[in-house]
Amino acid sequence: MLDMTVQSIITGLMMGVIYALITLGISIVFGVLNVVNFAHGDFVMFSMYLSYMIGTALVWDAVQTPLITIPVLFIFGFIVYYLIIDRTLRQMYVVQLAVTVGLQIFMRSMALIIWKAQPRALQYSIIQGNIQIGPYTILTSRLVAAIISLIFIAGIAWFLNKSWAGSAMRAASDDLDMASLVGVNYRRTYALTFAIGSALTAVAGGLLMSFQQTDPVGGIRFGFLSWCVLALAGLGSIPGLIISGMIVGVAETVTITFFDPRSRLLVIYGIFILVLWFKPRGLFGRK
Amino acid sequence: MNHPPKLQVNNLTVNFGNLMAVNNVSLEVYPGEIAGLIGPNGAGKTTTFNAITGLIIPSSGKVFFNGHDITGMLPHKICRLGMSRTFQVIKAFAHMTVEETVRVGAYNRCNEKNVYKKVDQIIKLCDLADLRDKLCSDLGLAILRRVELARALATEPEMLLLDETGAGLNQTELLSFMDLLRKINMEYSITLLVVEHVMQMVMGVCSRIVVLDSGEVIATGNPESISTNPKVIEAYLGKRVPQCY
Amino acid sequence: MKQILSTKYLPFISIFSLIALIPLVISKDQYAMVLVTTVLLYAVLASAWNIIGGMAGQLDLGAGAYIGLGAFTTGTLLTRWNITPWIGMFIGGFVSVSFAILIGLPLFRFKIKELWYALTSSALVEVLRIVFLMWDEVGGPTEKYLPGGGDNALYSLRFSTYIPYFYIILIFLVIVIYLNHRIRNSKLGFSLLALGEDEDAAEVLGVDARGNKLKALMIYSFIVGTVGGLYACLYGFLHPSFFSTEISTEVVILGIVGGMGITYGPFLAAIFLVSFREYLRAALGGELAGLYLAVYAVVLIVVALFQPRGIAPLFRRLFEKVIRSLGGREHESSAKASS
Ligand SMILES: Nc1ncnc2c1ncn2[C@@H]1O[C@H](COP(=O)(O)OP(=O)(O)OP(=O)(O)O)[C@@H](O)[C@H]1O
Ligand SMILES: [Mg+2]
Repeated sequence: MLDMTVQSIITGLMMGVIYALITLGISIVFGVLNVVNFAHGDFVMFSMYLSYMIGTALVWDAVQTPLITIPVLFIFGFIVYYLIIDRTLRQMYVVQLAVTVGLQIFMRSMALIIWKAQPRALQYSIIQGNIQIGPYTILTSRLVAAIISLIFIAGIAWFLNKSWAGSAMRAASDDLDMASLVGVNYRRTYALTFAIGSALTAVAGGLLMSFQQTDPVGGIRFGFLSWCVLALAGLGSIPGLIISGMIVGVAETVTITFFDPRSRLLVIYGIFILVLWFKPRGLFGRK
Repeated sequence: MNHPPKLQVNNLTVNFGNLMAVNNVSLEVYPGEIAGLIGPNGAGKTTTFNAITGLIIPSSGKVFFNGHDITGMLPHKICRLGMSRTFQVIKAFAHMTVEETVRVGAYNRCNEKNVYKKVDQIIKLCDLADLRDKLCSDLGLAILRRVELARALATEPEMLLLDETGAGLNQTELLSFMDLLRKINMEYSITLLVVEHVMQMVMGVCSRIVVLDSGEVIATGNPESISTNPKVIEAYLGKRVPQCY
Repeated sequence: MKQILSTKYLPFISIFSLIALIPLVISKDQYAMVLVTTVLLYAVLASAWNIIGGMAGQLDLGAGAYIGLGAFTTGTLLTRWNITPWIGMFIGGFVSVSFAILIGLPLFRFKIKELWYALTSSALVEVLRIVFLMWDEVGGPTEKYLPGGGDNALYSLRFSTYIPYFYIILIFLVIVIYLNHRIRNSKLGFSLLALGEDEDAAEVLGVDARGNKLKALMIYSFIVGTVGGLYACLYGFLHPSFFSTEISTEVVILGIVGGMGITYGPFLAAIFLVSFREYLRAALGGELAGLYLAVYAVVLIVVALFQPRGIAPLFRRLFEKVIRSLGGREHESSAKASS
């Protein structure tokens, strides 16, 4: 019993880091553009399919596929921004959000048409095997995924703090009027932000494919998870984001281990609602 | 000034993270007067307005309106008590007409029957009759500021906070606007607190002026004493010179 | 006064009288009956959404949740306690309202971004679907068929043809559109529109953000919940798939494409888009089942980008042009009144 608990917590912690990586994409877009991309979970689903296609076509390992999917998703993000998001920024907030809902439905039904309803998975991964620590098993693939996620999160954090583009993004999120006064081109900054948010899903998609399968409605789950992590974390704190991701990850795996696996979304929704009731700024949020 | 103050602000402080936007500000506005709140850019004037009208909750300090503690009260309740405002960064109802915009404010005190009369009255007062069926998104900034004033007046306030309502007006517009302010002050006995960068206007209509700099009150007094106060001159010269049109 | 009233509502009354005649023409054609009934059903839902979405500016994605709740309440009351859906659907409406309040109360607090309401309502649909999938006594993965029909048709609201449903839903639509019209021209409507435009500005003008949004949400969820009861009777069974994300998004798309805050906008959008969808479904069939949603999504995005006030203003202009070319100047005022 205790072993099972600890085991599921370990797994949950590792999954949580990947969730934090997915949420980071939503979080920076929300922070800078003040729009949440409803389709973000479907970007993850889409990235997973891309990884699947590249993995099967080139006989690559899942963790290698981001080499191709990152640039693809980055450019995709740019295009989506200039084609759609940019033109809705001056409209009512409902319309802005609804457009991303439109994007979500579009991607989901396209995935259904292209890849049909059956789940797809890659054959095997080079990072197979497990690490045994006492009675506990750690899947190497998940560990590697968690570590790579952490590296990317740290990289983005560094980018936001140190680079000029990063400060432009932070400036635009603090005060758009001031930012344009000091010469920040807000459209380019917004586009860059959106593209980075999108590219992060490529990393997550590749990592997830190393131990999971993908299906067209998988986007719902990832969207759900990342909203919950975002609600918990609030805006502006990277460590807060990682911890929130871990909380959600652990809640999920513990539910799967001890209750009905179908109810994992319920637990996540429960956390989501409770946070919004009691801590609407998130547990760690500054804004 | 024997009356109790209409608006009393005691030791108001607002922080944004580490930034003290408003620092220990105290001020009073007395019934029936037009008071001015001035200061260089970023002095904390708008933030003070936001804290008074309930749009942000101050970190510490108290705000009293007619003797009621309104600190941290929701803005619509403050409006019911008789205080409304305009915004420096225009917050127009873009997809509504001028008439509809004024009607939103008029509902504060009117029911379905007498709301039309109120709207007509305010539209006439603010000289918006020609524009009443125009969408706000089709109007220019200067007119939108007048629409903001109109909709705030429609709530039948006892006190109005005007945030740079005179910005961007030319000389003739400015003079007629100053007349309008005097009129609503005298005829409708509405107490006014105005934030203004246009010195001509501040000096012209205000009977008392409070000067803010870096979130703190540096001077209070009548227009003459303020314009010769060395601290005020330094605050302005050290930053940006107030715009004079 | 009477005279003014009758001219004011003349277009309204004549249009709905015309619609009421439709079954007389097509009652033999089962497929056409299904189509027009579906159009009306979606028109009711989207017109109700107009109150919370179009006027109050809240992106509500929870229509599927309220439909499901209404359907399961009505259906369960009928199967277990033999309570007629005529009553059951209103109880379903109240059940939906209580769920709506549960999420509206925390999320409509002042200064909480609209975004959270949108996310929460959208997630509610999926969560309730899972709950009812797992809750075997009421839901469960297999369809639960409703009793009735035959002699009991009226009591159990289970008719063998679409015609009665058509008229019931038409009555709903008349009520909902009239309600929209009344709200739009009242204090509540102006408060909601102002909140949808700018919450801060509305608040300092004395508009209670939370109270008004909650009112709008309650009206909306009551209507949708009630329609949910009807929905269950129409299909004759209960299934957790009634908690449908597709329906929720379709309702939003109709509301936005039709024209936000415009009384007859969602109805117009329903006429075009739902017919179009049914056409696509019939023409393309199983293989490309998901395609209609993709087309919907594209329509939504295109309208949002190029005609953000929806298609209703276009139709209004067209309508006025036609009236004018017919030389009927006195009709112009009535055309305006119908908006
Ligand atoms: N929401 C906010 N978050 C962070 N900082 C803010 C916020 N609002 C205002 N500030 C900062 O607080 C300080 C005071 O701003 P405020 O807008 O009150 O000045 P102001 O006197 O109205 O200036 P102006 O004359 O330019 O209108 C400024 O340094 C501003 O950057
Ligand atoms: Mg200011």
